Parts: sequence; C-alpha cells; structure tokens
Amino acid sequence: MNFELVGHLIRLRYKLLWARTRSRNGRIALFIVGYLIFVLVLVLLGAGGLGAALVAVESGKALLVARIVLASLFLEMMLATVIMGFGLNAMFSDAELRRYPVGAIDRRVTRHLVALIDPFWFLGFALEAGLVLGLYLLGAGFLGVGLIAVVLLFVTNYLAARVFGVLVDRMMQQKIGSLLLMAAIFLVALGAGQVPLLLKRDPAAAAQAVRFLRFTPPFGAAAAITRSGFEAASGVVVVLCWLVALAAALVALERRPAQRQKLPTTAISFDSFYDRVGARFGGEDGPLVAHWLRFYTRNTRFRTLGLLSLPILGFLAYTMGRPHGPFGKLHGPFDSLFVAALGVFPLVGFLAPARFTVNQFGYVGGGFRRYFLLPTDAAAALRTGNYASILTGASMIVLAAIAWTVLAPGPWDGRMLFMLMASGIAGLFLFHGLGLWTSILGPRRGNYNQALGNDASVAGNVVLIGGAFGCVLAPHFLARFAPAWVSPDRWWIAAIPVALTLLFYVFSLRAASALFRQRHEQLMAVVEGRG
Amino acid sequence: MDAFRISNLVKKYGSVVAVDDLSLAVPSGSMFGFLGPNGSGKSTTIGCLTGLLDPTAGAIEILGQPFDTNSIGLKRRMGVMPETLGLFEPLYAHEFLAFVGRMFGLDEATTRTRVSELLQALELTDSSKTLAEYSTGMRKRVAFAAAVIHSPEILFLDEPFESIDPAGVALMKQWLRRFTAQGRTVFITSHVLETVERLCDAVAIITRPGKLVWQGDISVLARDGAIAFDGQEFRALEPLFLHLTGQRYADLNWL
Ligand SMILES: Nc1ncnc2c1ncn2[C@@H]1O[C@H](COP(=O)(O)OP(=O)(O)O)[C@@H](O)[C@H]1O
Ligand SMILES: [Mg+2]
Repeated sequence: MNFELVGHLIRLRYKLLWARTRSRNGRIALFIVGYLIFVLVLVLLGAGGLGAALVAVESGKALLVARIVLASLFLEMMLATVIMGFGLNAMFSDAELRRYPVGAIDRRVTRHLVALIDPFWFLGFALEAGLVLGLYLLGAGFLGVGLIAVVLLFVTNYLAARVFGVLVDRMMQQKIGSLLLMAAIFLVALGAGQVPLLLKRDPAAAAQAVRFLRFTPPFGAAAAITRSGFEAASGVVVVLCWLVALAAALVALERRPAQRQKLPTTAISFDSFYDRVGARFGGEDGPLVAHWLRFYTRNTRFRTLGLLSLPILGFLAYTMGRPHGPFGKLHGPFDSLFVAALGVFPLVGFLAPARFTVNQFGYVGGGFRRYFLLPTDAAAALRTGNYASILTGASMIVLAAIAWTVLAPGPWDGRMLFMLMASGIAGLFLFHGLGLWTSILGPRRGNYNQALGNDASVAGNVVLIGGAFGCVLAPHFLARFAPAWVSPDRWWIAAIPVALTLLFYVFSLRAASALFRQRHEQLMAVVEGRG
Repeated sequence: MDAFRISNLVKKYGSVVAVDDLSLAVPSGSMFGFLGPNGSGKSTTIGCLTGLLDPTAGAIEILGQPFDTNSIGLKRRMGVMPETLGLFEPLYAHEFLAFVGRMFGLDEATTRTRVSELLQALELTDSSKTLAEYSTGMRKRVAFAAAVIHSPEILFLDEPFESIDPAGVALMKQWLRRFTAQGRTVFITSHVLETVERLCDAVAIITRPGKLVWQGDISVLARDGAIAFDGQEFRALEPLFLHLTGQRYADLNWL
C-alpha cells in the first residue's frame, strides 16, 4: 500500500470540496455556519447517547437499551443512505483514480475511506460513542472494548449500506433482478404486518428470534459494550465477522462489473408509452414531456427509489405511528397510524424523482444547450421537466392510496383517504414548486449514472431534507396543537393546503420561467461543467 | 440577398471579451468558412447566431429578420451543430433524432422515415448503444443528423469534420454541396484548412478576441490563382491564415 498517495488523494477530495465553497463569497459564511451546526449536532447526539446510557443503567436493562439504540441507529443510517443518498459519496470513481500511479487495492481503499470520512457517519458514531462513554462513567461498561466495538460497528454500518446499495443497483439493471426485487419487497411488506401477530400468538418465537439477533452487528456491539469477559469478546468477534464478510462481499461485487441489459441490435421502435403520454400535453410541450419521462425512467436510481419508496415510507409511517412510540402522546383521540401517514404521504410523490426535481438540468450535461436550439420557448424545458416529475409522483400517490386501502388496519374510511390524498397532492405541488427555484438558483452538475450518494446542491438538500423532516413531523404536532387539521370529522379542511400549494406552484411556474430565460448562460456554465 | 448579417457584435463573459465589434454578412447560397485560432471567438459567434447566448451588444439579422434568443420562427428554419454537440447521453440515437424531429414540427411518419434514412446513410445502425457509448466520431455524426433532419435553410456547423473518418467527411461534403446548390447556406468553422479550401467559396478569418482580420472569396485558389494581401501573394489558405493570425515559434528543449 502506498499510504502517502492515498493520503494525497483523500486530501484532494477536501481541496475540491473547499474550492467549490470558495467560488462564491457568501458560501464561506454558509460553510462556517454549517460546520458549527454540525459540531452542535454532534455534541447533542453524544449527549443523547449519554442519556441513553443513563436510562440503561437506571432501569437495570443496560443490554436491552444498548441493543435497541444500536439496532435502530444501524437501520436508520441504512435507510438514510438509501433515501437521501447520505454517506456514500465516493467522489472519485475507480476509472478516475486510474489516472494516478496507485494500485487496485490503494484505489479501493481511497474510494471507501473518502466515503467513510463523511460527516454523516460521524453523526451516528457520536451517538454510539456517547453511549459507550456514559456506560463507562456509570460503571456499567468498559471503555476500551466498547470503543473498539463501536468503531467496528461504524465501519460495518457503512459497508452494509454500500453492499445493499450496490446489490440493489445491480439488480435493477437487469429485468429478472428488478422482478426479484419487486417480489421480495412485496413479501416483506406483507410479512411485516404479520410479524407482530405471530409474536403475540407464540411468545416462544420471540425468544427464539432474539437468540438469532444476537448474531447481528448491533446486538454484538451491544454485548461488547455492556458485558465483560467471554460475552464481550464474542460480541466483538460477531461484529468483526460481519465486517470481514461485508468487505469481502463488496470487493466481490465491485470486481464483477455491472452489466447493463442491451437492446437487441435490430428493430428500432419509435412508438412508446412516453410519447403517447406526452401527446396529451399538446404539440408544443408533448415531445418535451415524453423526452423528460424517458430521461427519468431510464435512470436506475429513479427506478430503484420508485420501487423502494413505498415500502420505506410505509415502514416510516408504521414506526412513527405506533400509539406507544415517541409521538404517540401527541395524537390524543386520533388514530396514530393515520396521523403518521398524513406526514408521509407528501413524500410519496417526491422521493423517486427528487434528485431530478430539485436540480432539473444537473444531469443533462452537454444536452443542456440543445433546449435553446429547438424552436420553442426555452423555459418550456424547465416546465416540461417539472410536469414529467409531477406525473411520476402522481402515479406514486395513486399506488400509495391503494396500498393504504388494502393494508391499513381498521374499517375503511373515505374521509381519511381523501385527507391522505390531499396531503400527498399538496406535497407534490409544494416540492415541485420549490424544485423549480432550486433548479435555477442552486444547480449542480451531477452524474446521471451515479447510483449511490447524495449529489444535490446545498439549496436542493435544504428543500429535500428540510421538506422531508417538516412534512413528516408536522401532523404529529398539529394533532396536539391544532387538531382540526388532522381530524377526519373536518376532512374538507385538507383541501386548503392543496389550494394554497397549487397557487404557489402556478406562481412559481411563471416566475421561475422568466428567471430561467434570464439566467440560462450561468446555468449552462454550471451544468456543462465550466462553473 | 444575405442569409444573415451581424453588425457590431460584442460578447463578453464577465470582463472577458470573446467577440469584439464583429461585423459580417454572409450571402445566401454560399458555403462560408469561419476561421480563427483556438479561443478566437468562433463558437461564441455561432452561439450568438443560434440563440444559445445573448449578445452583449450589436444586432443580428437572419433571413431578413432580426434575431434573438426568442426568435422561434427563425430557429425552425435553422440547423445547428454546436461545438459540444448537445446530445442527451442516456438516449439511443434514434430516440434522440426522433425527439429533435418532432420538436421541429415534423409529423410522426416523416420523422420515422427521416430518422431511419439518416441512421442508414451515416452508418449509425448499431442501436444497442446509447449515445454515451458511441465513439466521438459517431456522436458527431448524430449531432450532424440532428442539424439537418428538418431540412433547414441555413446550417451552422461548428467544427463538423474534426474526428470524423474520411468516408464520413466525403459523404457530408457531398450533402453540403447539394445543400448550397439549392440556394441554402452553410456556415462552417473548422481547423482543417485544406478541407475548407476545397469546400468553401468564401471565408472570414478572425483573431483573438473576436476581431475580423480578413474576409473574401477564395474560389480563385481552386483555380490555381492567388490571393493578394499585404503586398504578398498567397496560393493556399494556410500561409494566409498563418500570416494573419501570427506564426508562433516556441522551443521547448526537453521535448
Ligand atoms: N462560458 C464561458 N465563460 C467564460 N469565458 C468563455 C466562455 N466560453 C468561452 N469563453 C472564452 O471566450 C473566448 C472565445 O472562446 P470560443 O468562442 O470558444 O473560441 P473558439 O471557438 O474560436 O475556439 C475564449 O477566450 C474563451 O476562453
Ligand atoms: Mg470553438
């Protein structure tokens, strides 16, 4: 291994990051503010870990609390990497690194170190380290072993996320793979509903399950943190085994190059579903809408998220909508699952195309200038891309409504369905209106084929993350402080956000089109890679 | 009549002047070469002429009408092959060309026939590869096909021949000759001076930053004649070009 070169390359990544920050004046301030907030959050999370340790010791259930904290953190970090693409930016591709005189192992280590040294993973690590420290201070754990276990867990978490991402991405590129994946998701979605029933009927099965779970990384780490002697050592060994296995799986996956399914060489087909959908938008915009639909739906990342978003959001609604969960107290007389679903529905129509919606032109590359050579209002490209994204989002909302009707427990209530749909549609308009603005004001050149990682701009991420958190949390607090907004008895109130967001959307469409014509040269420079 | 006329065109990128007070008139039906060293402002001029860039100052008139970025009617009568090609990489060639055809108002049946014929003629029949997977020369052919699919009245081609193989160049030249024979206009930038010399009737030469230094008829060269300039006689385009743009010698002793 050539450590010096690897070090240079890792520093180069941060130099590039800094160069991008420096290119505009206000960004430095933003950077510093962001950094301060990051440190603050780290401290908070560390304190949260300490608090958890306190609870663990006081309740006398250190192992149980550690298991729950570590396992939910592990899963949440995985989810966040899939939904938002956090923590998987490798920055350099293997092909790019081949330009430098470094060997295959060095290249692999560089890429993964760059991705691992990401603020996102430190957030989780802060919480875990806080937990270890707390347990140690309260005399219920060992610092050395605990820290080792947590560091191993942190790397394992990264590797698991990466392996999962690569695996899903590879499957999505093959017809059979996507079918298998779809079937698996379907089974998991149906099965997840059955698990609590099964456990209730057969308590012995729960004990059996825990015995199995001991061999998962978070449970292993929990044992290492809270136990001593043989138990602690075997906990560390469990995590270590996972780490080695996942690393090996990752290397194996990366060695096998992705194979895109090829079209048969003959027959060129012109007639397509997209063209027929586009035709509904009339002769002017029709071909452009079809073009954008094709552009989105051909993208593996879009397809993956389209497939995963419903189960993931269903899971999110389920965890946030437990009557005895952290938000349960806020729900008062309302059905907890329904309140949580109200917050999740706005994301349904947005998650799959999100990366494109907030950065409309970031992935068209050199094709950007083509829009100005076509005999049409240039802003039509902006509008139609947004329409196409809305179309895909709207179909996801329909699917989600069907899923709710089929899967939600309790008697069917048309008012609830109306409110959920309204919430989804309001989210659709809100996010797409905001996306028009971030596409023009915060563009960023991205890689169409990049399957993992978050490559939205600062503005795009503010809309994405801020919007997602806002929407998901809002109904819980509304249920407590403004119950009329979530009450099925006043279902018609749900039409108000739809009307307001529609207004905002129409306004944005007009104003952003004018702004787009004005700023198209700056956009061209960024999007085509000269900004 | 002039196919287009530029008067006192200025284009600045921030404080960088890329085109400085350029005036040029190109007659209809001509094959016009637009020459200059790297970075002299050729692509920038074509950008202003085709609606990619907003001129900082000056006026452009195309086919007798004033032109700006929003001249949709005029754009429909122009074909453009931009320097960076302007392709959508994830698409297949036929999808891309069909999209462009439809945008230029061709009906579905016409689009289909023309796309198939263009792909056949330009030997782009490998439909298993996306544009991103095509070679540079193949991508150039696709961009050329997109420029001509709606049979425009004026063609703007920014370095069309570079990195296309000789057979492709020969085919394109043949098409372009027929194109101008019908009274339509071709405006080409190129570095391949021999090709320009044999193909074009007239050229304009500019130097950095976007200053016109010579414009004239070069058909005499094809008839073994000479162009007189600065008291010298030039029998080919290359010496004239080098005389105008300045020959540079630099000696790197390690090379
Ligand atoms: N987007 C841009 N931003 C800033 N400067 C540019 C940009 N595009 C071109 N230039 C500058 O304008 C000048 C002319 O460029 P260009 O028109 O591409 O030249 P040519 O096509 O003749 O090689 C060059 O000095 C170049 O650096
Ligand atoms: Mg150029």
